[in-house]
Amino acid sequence: MALETDLMETKKVPTRRKPRQNKGGKAKKGEKVFRDKEKKARIDKKMQKLFCKRARDYNSDDDDDDDNDELEPEVGKENGGPLGFEEASDANSSGEERENGPDADEEKGDSEDEGYEIQPGITKFTEGCRAFKIAFNKITKKNVSDDPLGPVLSGHKKLVAEKLAEEESERKVKGLAKKEKHSVREQGHVMLENFLGPHEKFLIGVATKGVVKLFNAVSKAQNAQKGLNPSRSKDAKVLGKRRRSAFLSELRKKTSQAAGTSSKGTKSTGAEDDDGPAWAPLRDSYMLTSSKLKNWDKMEDTSVAHDTGGMPPDSSSDED
Amino acid sequence: MARFRSNRKKKNVFIKPTVKQPIVDHVTGDKIPKSFVFSRGKLPNSLKQLEMDLRKLMLPHTALKLKEKKRNNLKDFLNIAGPMGVTHFMMLSKTRSSPYLRVARTPQGPTLTFKIDEYSLAVDVARSQVRPRCPKELFRNSPLIVLSGFGTGEQHMKLTTIMFQNIFPAIDINTVKLSSCQRIVLLNYDKETKLIDFRHYSIRLQPVGVSRRLRKFVQNHQAPNLSTLQDVSDFVTKAGYGSESEADDDAATVSLASDIGRVNRASTKSAVKLQEIGPRMKLQLIKIEEGLCSGGVIFSDYGNGGEARNQENQEDEEGDEEDEEGDEED
Repeated sequence: MALETDLMETKKVPTRRKPRQNKGGKAKKGEKVFRDKEKKARIDKKMQKLFCKRARDYNSDDDDDDDNDELEPEVGKENGGPLGFEEASDANSSGEERENGPDADEEKGDSEDEGYEIQPGITKFTEGCRAFKIAFNKITKKNVSDDPLGPVLSGHKKLVAEKLAEEESERKVKGLAKKEKHSVREQGHVMLENFLGPHEKFLIGVATKGVVKLFNAVSKAQNAQKGLNPSRSKDAKVLGKRRRSAFLSELRKKTSQAAGTSSKGTKSTGAEDDDGPAWAPLRDSYMLTSSKLKNWDKMEDTSVAHDTGGMPPDSSSDED
Repeated sequence: MARFRSNRKKKNVFIKPTVKQPIVDHVTGDKIPKSFVFSRGKLPNSLKQLEMDLRKLMLPHTALKLKEKKRNNLKDFLNIAGPMGVTHFMMLSKTRSSPYLRVARTPQGPTLTFKIDEYSLAVDVARSQVRPRCPKELFRNSPLIVLSGFGTGEQHMKLTTIMFQNIFPAIDINTVKLSSCQRIVLLNYDKETKLIDFRHYSIRLQPVGVSRRLRKFVQNHQAPNLSTLQDVSDFVTKAGYGSESEADDDAATVSLASDIGRVNRASTKSAVKLQEIGPRMKLQLIKIEEGLCSGGVIFSDYGNGGEARNQENQEDEEGDEEDEEGDEED
């Protein structure tokens, strides 16, 4: 670039502005072409020598890398024609080879000359290339067995196989143990089907009957007292009577129904149980429970045998 | 802020009795039963989930967020139970053979021990349904309980009945609001297999005698698609298809005492629809003890014959304890 600026300055000397600019522009174009050539030539020649020198001295990878860095901006096209001495030196020097490419036409003679001059002992470019090519091809085309068991050594092979088998068996054992543990943990846990089985339908039916019974009883009980105002004493009395009688009759109806059919028996007991707790005195088990509870209170001081006497003395015979 | 907080606390304390007292009146004088659901020993994940489901089922009179630690023993819970007014314990445990559920009255028993033959979680139930429905409002009121098939006359069944009846607050028919009955717990005893089916359903009411379209229209608040109809009147008059489940049984219809919600009026009839929520269990009554997880054995499914049976049971107990200890060690 220094060269270019110099040229510009030399042109700047003439007087006027516009034409000068134009001229300068034109001149620039013309110059550029010329200059480029010149520059290229110059740089190339200079650099060429440098590169050759370096290539000759080449030893380590680092140097090579450096070269590459320097050269890269210059590299325009790749030329197929490789230079002998570089090839011979190392595969790594391919970068340099490229760099030489664009100007190969001009420089070939020089470089070859240089090569011959400086390293006469090396094989000829063409021969070396072919040999290298063959060798390289051989290497690249070689099929390395892709055996996962590793290298070919038979002893090692056996070891690896054994190890793998062992691992497998270990894994199996572990898996089994895990499964077992899981099954113990998930014992009794049942996943459900997407449809309702007959048993489920039956259960829903039972529950529905219970709900219906309760709702009907509630509506009866609450409809009866609708017109009355519990805050007035007269109504309150009536209410009380009605409540008792209506509810008792309701209950009796149920029990009689239950007695009617055996299938209804379970259902009605269910319903009875449903609203049972509200009216403990009416439950069959009323006395039983209360006595039982009393007994449990006493249980601390009285003997166990006495307590069981309250309820299951006959039960024990029943169970057997 | 401090003031505000203190106000809040007072409010909380104040609200609770107002909710409970009116229910207590008509009952035999019992308090409202409250429950703890907790585990004994270490539980696998699915059983922990079952524990949570059971807690939800026992809502609202239960400790939903009861924290248990490994070192908590039964006495700890019992000590809290007194001042908190907790009347029932439900204890889940797991041995190598199967999971167990113990239902006990505090502080002095009796204790019923059930073997859980099979169970499914609320999640499983919801997964098996096309449209699972489980709004939070369901759990604001305690469920109804229906015991079916328990009237076999055997003493231990009676005891079981009583236990389960008293685990939920009693209903007074004259004052109960039907809108508060939203869930139902069903215990169905099968005489032949001696297994108890434990189910938990939500109760839904639907007006009867209205076409499905109209019902949906009223319930959903959405503009119906009339593009396929010739006339608006078709929407009302066309019957549409009716599925099997749509057919209304007379058995499932109810005339209500009062309006429930916007749709179910007292004047119209409503159909009761149950949809399963919550856990499902198949229980087998194994043992009844007099005390709280201790004391003499009233009933045992294992042995047969008076004292010998008792001894056996005690041995069994010891065996069980050993099992549990073994599990804990694991």
